[in-house]
Order: sequence, then structure tokens, then C-alpha cells
Amino acid sequence: MKLTIHNQDFQLHPLGGLFWEEKSLLLISDVHLGKVSHFRKFGAAVPRKAIHKNFLLLDKIVSDFQPFQICFLGDLFHSSLNKEWELFENWVGKTPAEILLVAGNHDVIAPEKFEKLKISIFPELVIGSFLLTHHPEEREEYFTFCGHIHPSIKLKGFGRERIKLPCFFKSSNQMILPAFGQFTGTHSLDPKDSDEVYAIVEDSIIKV
Amino acid sequence: MKQKELFQIAENWFQDQNWKPFPFQKETWKAFLDGKHGLLNAPTGSGKTYALWFPIVLNYIKNHPNYKTKHKKGLKAIWITPLRALSQEIKQSAERITKDLGTQMTVGIRTGDTSAKERAKMRTNMPDLLITTPESLQLLLSSKGYEKTFKDCSAIVVDEWHELLGTKRGVQMELGLSRLKTVCETLRIWGISATIGNLEQAREVLLGPTSPELENSMLVKADLNKKITVKSIIPSKMETFPWRGHLGLHLLDQVVPIINNSKTTLLFTNTRSQCEIWFQKILEKYPEFAGEMAMHHGSINKETRLWVEQAIRNESLKAVVCTSSLDLGVDFAPVETVIQIGGPKGVARFLQRAGRSGHRPGKESVIYFLPTHAIELVEASAMQKAVLNSAVEDRISYLSSFDVLIQYLTTLAVSDGFYPDEIYPEIKQTFCYQTLTEEQWQWLLNFLVMGSQSLKSYDEYKKVEVEEDGKFKVNSRAVAMRHRFQIGTIVGDATISVRYQKGGYIGSIEEYFISKLSPGDVFTFAGRNLEFIRIKGMAAHVRNSKKRTNKVPSWMGGRLSFSAKMSELLRQELYTAALDFSDQSEEIQALQPMFAKQREESIVPQPHQFLIETFKTRDGYHHMFYPFEGRAIHEGMSSLLAYRISLLRPITCSLAFNDYGFELLSDSEIDIQEILDNNLFTPEYMLSDLQKSLNSNEMARRKFRDIAVISGMVFTGYPEKGIKMKHLQSSSELLFDVFRDFEDDNLLYQQAYTETFEHQLEEGRLRLALERIAQQEIVWKPCSQPTPLSFPIITDRLREKLSNEKLADRIKRMMVKLTK
Repeated sequence: MKLTIHNQDFQLHPLGGLFWEEKSLLLISDVHLGKVSHFRKFGAAVPRKAIHKNFLLLDKIVSDFQPFQICFLGDLFHSSLNKEWELFENWVGKTPAEILLVAGNHDVIAPEKFEKLKISIFPELVIGSFLLTHHPEEREEYFTFCGHIHPSIKLKGFGRERIKLPCFFKSSNQMILPAFGQFTGTHSLDPKDSDEVYAIVEDSIIKV
Repeated sequence: MKQKELFQIAENWFQDQNWKPFPFQKETWKAFLDGKHGLLNAPTGSGKTYALWFPIVLNYIKNHPNYKTKHKKGLKAIWITPLRALSQEIKQSAERITKDLGTQMTVGIRTGDTSAKERAKMRTNMPDLLITTPESLQLLLSSKGYEKTFKDCSAIVVDEWHELLGTKRGVQMELGLSRLKTVCETLRIWGISATIGNLEQAREVLLGPTSPELENSMLVKADLNKKITVKSIIPSKMETFPWRGHLGLHLLDQVVPIINNSKTTLLFTNTRSQCEIWFQKILEKYPEFAGEMAMHHGSINKETRLWVEQAIRNESLKAVVCTSSLDLGVDFAPVETVIQIGGPKGVARFLQRAGRSGHRPGKESVIYFLPTHAIELVEASAMQKAVLNSAVEDRISYLSSFDVLIQYLTTLAVSDGFYPDEIYPEIKQTFCYQTLTEEQWQWLLNFLVMGSQSLKSYDEYKKVEVEEDGKFKVNSRAVAMRHRFQIGTIVGDATISVRYQKGGYIGSIEEYFISKLSPGDVFTFAGRNLEFIRIKGMAAHVRNSKKRTNKVPSWMGGRLSFSAKMSELLRQELYTAALDFSDQSEEIQALQPMFAKQREESIVPQPHQFLIETFKTRDGYHHMFYPFEGRAIHEGMSSLLAYRISLLRPITCSLAFNDYGFELLSDSEIDIQEILDNNLFTPEYMLSDLQKSLNSNEMARRKFRDIAVISGMVFTGYPEKGIKMKHLQSSSELLFDVFRDFEDDNLLYQQAYTETFEHQLEEGRLRLALERIAQQEIVWKPCSQPTPLSFPIITDRLREKLSNEKLADRIKRMMVKLTK
């Protein structure tokens, strides 16, 4: 699925990332790495195999677009430091793209740790007429890309059928990205008439 | 002291009260003093507390001849009650005995309501007789040095055992008992149960199927032959009586004379929201009851509940609208009349409620059945027969509940630690875990220590540790604290407390309801109109409001299903619709207008007939099936049928069911002839088809919710610190998906399926139901509009869905509908 915003071209990926073609920039939000380990550390036996899934999916989306830059829109790491950080270090090492992080409310790991991996951290980023933040924010003359909400949409069908799908949620000046991470959950939003909703349906994107 | 002298002490006491002990009481005293274990089958209000408190005290007197002057401190007996509300009453009767007999024994209560200060005091100084709940007993097992506390305990009584049996709290109890058998030097185990179908099994579950305790035990029955009269409230105008609904407010005016003619009336409702609505509506229409009427349900704060209970005893209340919160215990002698609003769904429950009235020995119990919609009149009539024949249901116990076992093992690890070789034989003796294999046991131990079945170096999983000598122990204080907190969790939706802004606790509500309110909204709760202000922490702040409102919190609490017995009786009753008018019960007679309407396009089925109806409305194509087997069976059968149809062609449909039948609602017509030709009701391959049906996955997902909480994988948070623990909260749904994708051989994940098939879908009963249908003549009636029988089902909003179409196709179809 392709979109044009402010004369720039964007591709929506069914894994939940968004690719800015002109800049070769991949936007990914709310991965929540480390969450599984965090739970295990506190005695909740979430299957360990789930840890690797996030990295496999990251590899997949990166190889689909081969971006120059990857920008995480916050909540990259769910918790304080745990052993998943080492896996993340490995992933950064083998991924041939520059990595940026717009910090989110969950990102409590010391900036030095990121700097060591040559990841730059920003409270927000302005690129041309685009604003990249973690929390949704509408600012005049800018179009915002953000995360935080983990948006999903509820659809109703015939015979009182109901279904809930994660989605890209676009209002006139803002696009909220779905959460990329496994094991993260969603929050359903009620679209207004002016909103555009791009739902993730298995391996495709459908405009609702 | 000889047994004869001991009995004399007891008999003298009864004489002083001008009472005479019942034979069952004497029988129990003797059995207890002979050192036997057992199960006492006695209804509430029969004097069952005296049947067991007496021998406990007499036994102490026997072993301590100078009991009047000297007092040996320490725990001597435990009385387990499933409901905190009952503990006061039990304490009072115990204290009467200990005081009147001149002992210096102390009686104490320890439940979730007990203050931290009192609990701390108990740690060093246990009362002689302790009254507590199954959860609090587990908590005692999680405290250090518990073995010493329980060493001299000589008796444990499990009251209302029928309520615990068939629940996971019952399993918790089985495990607690298995430990106490070892820890206490001489222990007698006694259960008290109301009448259920499988009393013998109840005794087996309590004592352990192969245990020496079972060998040395007896079943004492208190045959009191209490007279119970059931009367139906029949609508005076049948024409305007609704075909559907669950509130029953149409009959409010007919209830008032009943209340007026009786000293105290209890009105039992099936849900808390129904309770709130009835209370409010009676007051609205009959304001003269204000001050003489009260409400009692589980979400109202404890002080109010205790006040209501006391007021019933003082005879200062004319009527109390209540829920199952007043089902158990507490003798309310002044209650003369009981009204059951809506079907009670079970004979045992109905009898129990009837027994709340006419509590004085020899008095008759009167219960009115108030139907909430027309077809419930059939139920009312069937219930009378059921009471006449005491056709009471079985309570089915859980088997192999790994979640409860994980919790229990963690409990032991939190207190003094445990050695697996010591605990395994204890657990094997319980009913629940009689089939536990060594492999499963090892799996559970691995799960506790490593959180998986193989150790990896980078893993940070932390819970139970194995010490050098092989002891399993929790050493982290944080883990211990979180675990202790979880023990008491009665699984349910996240609840939020409701408080006045200026302070003052009113009760608790499910978070789901509060989340739909905006500030300024007014809702009814605990009989008051409250304006919602804001959420702060885990509390909703409110203020009183004069505005009228229709918003009443709903509690998602269990929707009950008919038992096999009740379904059978219901069918028999319905079949009498074909009899001559004069041979019918008055309930069935009253239904004549509805039956006539039903017969316009369809039939009222007879024993040899299985009715199917089809019609179309704005919602889509309705396909109705009427097995009359109870909700649970219909849930399974509808899921099974939908799956089998989906093998013939892609379909998407939603399912609805009640106790009478079920519906497949679809956007295209399903060819009924095709269903019949392909023999889709066959019991063959039932289980494997059920497992493949999408719906069973959804059901298992819901079962997994409780399992995840009980086994400690989902942390529900500290009530006041809820927010702070948010980083550890996750939904069990998410967790279920992760298990499905990455670890589907996990025993806890598989347990969710076992529970779905055995407890929810009752596969055994489902098979019998299908076999019965195979013998019947199938009558298919295409209709032009909904029939009276179909009405309660098609208007049900709680639906399951099933589809084997591709997700993308369904979405596209949904969108077509949106844009139309």
C-alpha cells in the first residue's frame, strides 16, 4: 500500500512499519524489546522462544526495504536493561543501516548505552515538513508520524460479526503507527469521517 | 473422661437451651470422638455447626481434664468457610459452647477482611479455634514456620463443601488438606455438605480416594424431611407478558402483596445488576418501602452487608433484594418467604434458596418462582417436580488442575521450602492429582525453577530456586510478596473500588464498566445514584447525584447452564403442552396463548421430535435448533454443527444459545436439507471435530485467563499500587497467543483445552444429546417471522462467531456493507 503525503511517497508494510521512499527511511514504532525477558525475570514464564521473534521480524522488514536509515518512534525497549540487550546489540551490529531513536515513555535505558551502538537519541525529530515523535501531537504546518497508542480498529459485519485489527491510523495531519512488537497488545480507536484507517489483515494492508 | 460423660455435658447444654439434639448431631459427635473422619450431609439452618463444634470442644475436654482452670495455648481446630460473611455466625456459635462449658478456649477469625495488625498478632498467638477461608488457609501455609503452628491441630471442618467441590477453590482445599495430614499429629477431617447428587464422591474428594482417612470415615445424613412449597407467580395478563427478557419487572406489582403478607422476604436475583435494578424499581413504585428494604450483593462493602444481615435477624427489614451472596450459611430465622426471580438454573441452588425461609425446625419453607419471560414458566413448572423428587445435580470435581498445583508448590516454596520427594506422595493421594505422572511432576518442577524445560545461560527467569540439599525455595522477597498477594485472587475481571471523593468506600465494580463512563455520567450502584468524577489509582471517585439514570453496572459473572437433570425435567414439562388442558399444570395452562402462536407456523415439539426453524430478519438468516439440553451443551453443539457445515461450504456465522436451543445466524441461507442429508448431527468423530472448530479455541482462550492468573503468569497488581505494577501487567489473551505460537506443549496451555472440553462443553453429555437426536424425527419448519420459542435466543447479544472464510475476504465483505 502506497501513500503520498506532502508530495512524499510512503509505503505501508503489513508487519507494521512505514517506509519513506525519498529518504530511504524506515519508521518503526513500539517494538517493546526486552518485554519477554522482563516478565521472566519477575517470575512469569512467558515462552522464551518468543524473544527471537521480534528480531526475525525486524530482519524481514529491513530486508524488504533495505533502508539507509531506520528510525524507531519510541518504546524500543520495554524495561530497564536485561539480557535481551545483548541480542539487540548483535542485531544492530549486523544491520547495515543508520539507526535513530525518538525516545518514548518506556525507553529508560541510559543514552550512553545507545550511543555506544552509534544510535542517536532525540526527543523528537523534524525532517522537512514532517515531525517524528513518540506521543501523538498535532503541530501547525507539520505532518506527524508517531506511535505510543498501539492503534487497532473494530469492524462490524453482517450477522453481528465483529473483528479487531491492528492498523495505521491517519488523521489529517498525523499518522499513528501500529505497534511492531509481538506480545504488545492494542488499543482500539474510533475513526472520525475525516480519518483514514489502514488495517493490517494478515499479510496485506486494507484501507477501511 | 469417658465418652458417656462427655455426651452428658453436651446433652445438658442442649437441655439448658430447651433444645433436644437431633439424631444426626449425636451420630456425628460419636463418630468424631471415635476418631473417625467423615462427611455430614445437612442443610443450612439445621444445627450443623453444633454437630461439629461440640465434639471438637469435647475432645479438648477429654484430653485436658483440668480444662476449667488451665489453658493450653495453640491452634486446635480449623473451620473453613467459603464465604467470609459466614464467619461471624460460626464464631458466635463456637463461643457459646466454649464459654458455657467453662473452657478457656479462644475463637478467632482470619479472612481477607482481617486487619494486618490482627494477623500479626495471630502469628505469635493463634486462637484455639480458627475460622477461615480456603485462600487464607493457603496464606497460612505460605508463612514461615507453619508446620509448628499446625502441629497440634486436631480437627479441620470444611463447611459448605458442596460449594467448593467443582471449583478450583476446592482443589486448593484438597492440596491444603494433603499437607495438613502430614503436618498435624492427629487430625480429623470433616466436611459439611448440602444435598448433591454425588455425596459419596464428595467424601472421596475431601479425604482422598485411596487414603487411610477415607477407609476410616463415615457419611452422616441429617434426614430432616423439611417441607418445601413452591409457588409460581403467574402473570395475570398473559397476552402482555414478554417472550424474552431477564429482568422480570412486569411482575413487580404481583410481588408486593407477597412482601406485605410476610414478616421478611428475600428476593433472589441471578445477577448483581438485576439486583440493583429490582431494588431501585420497587422503591420507585412503592416508596413506602424505603427504610424497610435493603440490598445485599457481593460488590457492596462489608459493613453494609453485615448491617443488612443483622437487620434481617432483628426483623427490622421487610424485604431484601439479594444475589447468591445470601445463598449460604447464616441462619435468618425471621425470613418467612423467598422469591426467586428468573430461573435458578439448578435444583440444588433452588432448594438451598428455598431453605432460607422457615428456618425454625418444623416450619415449612415457601418459595415463589417469578418467571422473567414466558418460556420460563415451563421452568417454573419443572422446578416444582424437581423439588418434589429432590432431583439434585452432581458437582463435578476438577482433575489435574496444573495451575492450582503450581500456585500451591510456590506457596510451599515461599514459606519453608519443600522437598519434591516428600510432597509428591501427598499430592498423588488427592482426588485432583490421582493420575499425575512422574513426567508431569518433573515438568512442573522445571517450570517452577527454569520457567521452561531446558536451561539456557542467558535466561534470567527467576522464581523458585533449588538449594544444595535439593530443597525448593523462594528466596526473593519481592517474588514472595507478589505470590502471597496472588493466592487470594478469586479470578474475575479487574475490579476497581468505588469511593466518594471525600473518602468512604462504597463497593467495587468491574473496570470494564467504569471504562465506558465519562466524567459527569450518572449510574446506579449499591442503591444510590452516583455521578462519576474521575479515576484515581485503582479507585473511581464519585459523588451523590439526584439525576435519574438507567445505567447499571453489569458484572460479567458466570452465565449458568441447566444441569442434565434439569434439562430432562424441562423437556418432560414442555411435552405436557400436548395434553388436555385439564391435565396440565397451571403454568403450562397459562402458556396456551404462546403455544398457539408458536403453532401458527411451527410446532411445540413432542418427545420424538427435534425441531428446526428457519426465517429471515433484518439481521440475516436465522437457523434455529431446539435440543432443550441446557446452555453449555448448546454452546458445544452449535460450534460443532457450524464447523461441520463449514466443511461443506465456506460460511461465516454467529452463534447464540440459551437453555432451550441455539441459533446459527448467517448472511446467506444454510440449506437445512443438506445438513440432514449429510447427517451432521452424528456423534461420530465428535471430539476431533470439536477440537477443530474455531470456537473451541476461543473458549480455551477464555479458560486460559483464569489459568494464567492462578499459576502466577499474569500479575493482577496490588489493589492500591495497581498503576505502579503496570509494566508487569499483560493480558492473558496476549499470553495465550504467545503460547500457541511458541510453546503449545505447555501443560498450562493444554489445560485450557482440557477444561474447555470437560467442564465447559461437557463432552460426555453432548454425546448423549447427539445420540438422543439421532433417535428423533427431525421437523424442519421454514417460517415467515420469528416464533415465540426463538425469540429469547435471537435477541441475545452475547454471541460467538465462527468462520472458515479467509480473513481478507471477510474484511472486504464487511467493508462492502459499511459503504452500502
